[in-house]
Amino acid sequence: MFTSVTISLLEGFLGTLKLFSLTLLFSLPLGLIISFGSMSKNAVVRVPIRFIIWVVRGTPLMLQLLIFFYGPGIFFGVNLWGAGDSGRFTAALVAFVFNYACYFSEIFRGGIQSIPKGQYEAAAVLGLTKSQTFFKIVLLQVVKRIVPPISNEVITLVKDTSLARVIAFYEIIWEGERFIKSAGIIWPLFYTGVFYLIFSGLLTLLFGYIEKRLDYFK
Amino acid sequence: MAILEVHELKKKFDEDEVLKGISFNMEKGQTLSILGSSGSGKTTLLRCLNLLETPDEGTITVNGDLLFFANVKQLKEDELRKKRLHFGMVFQQFNLFPQYTALENVILAPKLVKKDMESAEILERGKVLLNKMGLSDRMDNYPHQLSGGQQQRVAIARALALNPDILCFDEPTSALDPELTGEVLKVIKELSEQNTTMIIVTHEIAFAREVSDEIIFMDQGVIAEQGPPSQVIDNPNNERTKQFLSNYLK
Repeated sequence: MFTSVTISLLEGFLGTLKLFSLTLLFSLPLGLIISFGSMSKNAVVRVPIRFIIWVVRGTPLMLQLLIFFYGPGIFFGVNLWGAGDSGRFTAALVAFVFNYACYFSEIFRGGIQSIPKGQYEAAAVLGLTKSQTFFKIVLLQVVKRIVPPISNEVITLVKDTSLARVIAFYEIIWEGERFIKSAGIIWPLFYTGVFYLIFSGLLTLLFGYIEKRLDYFK
Repeated sequence: MAILEVHELKKKFDEDEVLKGISFNMEKGQTLSILGSSGSGKTTLLRCLNLLETPDEGTITVNGDLLFFANVKQLKEDELRKKRLHFGMVFQQFNLFPQYTALENVILAPKLVKKDMESAEILERGKVLLNKMGLSDRMDNYPHQLSGGQQQRVAIARALALNPDILCFDEPTSALDPELTGEVLKVIKELSEQNTTMIIVTHEIAFAREVSDEIIFMDQGVIAEQGPPSQVIDNPNNERTKQFLSNYLK
């Protein structure tokens, strides 16, 4: 029984992993773009972007999932996401990417703005271009500073994927809950926690390693 | 011919007129020190020369090449970068790049900017410069492993690596512990003796008297007095200069 439950939960965890990894893949670069927008000198760019960040960070992710999934059909009468499981997955992914990109953008903004002005000035008097300054001077210093807050968000994301259940996205909690009806047992649901723990433990090790690798400068 | 000609340079921050028309010339190979109390505009003047600040009015000419002319407000980024290379800059806070070693700090800009130089040549020159700064055993250290005085000497080597026409220092020893200022001043003095063209904004009056060919004393955004150290420091005419010096030379 234990083995078959473990195998079923692993299957569910694949859904969790898929949503987790694709969310990271898209939200990190999107977050960087949004952070540039939120620091723009042009108010026409900056103000709407800050407004969107405020809305996204100020409302529950669960609600955003529901709005993203049902909204297009209810308000515009279009079936944006397509039918079936793949449609649910796409809707969930878009909502997660949007939500996490906004959080990441604030972390990036904080990181970029924490770089002393002197670094930019030193680069400028040495004749570096803006992109050389960003990629050769600023970026690694930003990365070093944001590893701890990013690691926090990433570990939160592992667990947040369970919220996608609300639009019937198949993941590990769903699989664990299934055993209540099909076999009358609840321990598989509790057992799902172990999967989260192990995975976030691995991520903690990974981020610890990255922090250590960046320890050579201050 | 003067290597640097500054004419009627003016700069306002909001309503605060920091530079009220600065004009002076300097000759190649000279060391010029700019003295004055905080808020007199001396740092702003230096930052205008480097185009870290955009002057509101006036002209800057280096080697007969008109570097800045206030009526042409919008310099293209590309031109701006080229023009800045006439000047090297050493900052009060060193501003070394923390993720690079001393040697990497020195060779980074030449590698990116001097496309016509071989990288082996750049590396060799970087080592020579750090040797000259007395840092031959510190080349592979990161900035946080160096003392303030060592960091500032790396910063001087970094500025020299691009062969600027004029090397500028913005209060190069103000962020250093007193026992570390000597090693930085010694290096600057050596550069002066080798006829490096330099502009030094400083509070080290005694040092300025020793190394400078020319002194400018600034007060409230204007040049109050200018001349050789024997005049400006030893026999000042201007009341503000006298007052300033008496506070320092007590």
